[in-house]
Amino acid sequence: MELDLQAVRRVFEDVLNGCMSRERADRWAHAVVQEEETGIVTYSPPRARERIWAGVMYLYGIDATTAPGVYLHTDGDIRKGMTVCIGEVGDDGVGDDAAGYRATAAMGHRK
Amino acid sequence: MTIDDFRTNRGAASLDVRRNAAATAERSAFAAPVVPLRQVLPTYPDQPPSPERLRQIDRAFFGPFFREKYGAGGDKALQNHRIRYYGQVQPSNNAGELAGRRYVHEFDTMTGLTRGWHETLDRTGNVRLVRPERDDGIKRNYQFDDDGRYKRSW
Repeated sequence: MELDLQAVRRVFEDVLNGCMSRERADRWAHAVVQEEETGIVTYSPPRARERIWAGVMYLYGIDATTAPGVYLHTDGDIRKGMTVCIGEVGDDGVGDDAAGYRATAAMGHRK
Repeated sequence: MTIDDFRTNRGAASLDVRRNAAATAERSAFAAPVVPLRQVLPTYPDQPPSPERLRQIDRAFFGPFFREKYGAGGDKALQNHRIRYYGQVQPSNNAGELAGRRYVHEFDTMTGLTRGWHETLDRTGNVRLVRPERDDGIKRNYQFDDDGRYKRSW
């Protein structure tokens, strides 16, 4: 399985546009996490790995609820989460310093 | 200090004990008071490390496997040989007392098994909702009040 920033961004945008339910986005991210556990996910470009993973981990659980039928996150939360995790449109694959900072913040102690 | 110094010191210490024991035996013939030996904390290399030390080792050894993926928010070694890795809290700005959610990944160092769940925290850091990740994909939420008492599930 190959994963790039655009794919992750597309899932975020589909959720925000109402083209994809949060439940489906959560399952999509869950599938990625499962595949990552078996070590068969490749990240494109490799230097974007941390940002991609941060985006996946945001989407994983994006359908969290506070009561039956009431989501924890607003669309505004999700939009902000997308920016923090994977950056603005145009950052994809550039690997600029700002994106590096975001990735480091999201991934912690990567060596 | 080298290991040889340590061994030499240990040898000297045990020699002292033997000398003291012989002296005590001699003195006991004259009804001298018996002085109990001081308890020495285990320092020998063949003795198992303390549970706290084991937890430190577990965290250091298994950290690279899980910390970068699941431990952006920190990790904690539990007393039952498990390590919990906490994801970053994904904030929520419109959920009243609830601050956000995070994913928690738990690794059992004895069995190698893992499990995970999502939890929602309030603004004081209490876990108020837990959603275990089940193998069958069924999602169930368990809600707790701010004292940690179970309230309901859905």
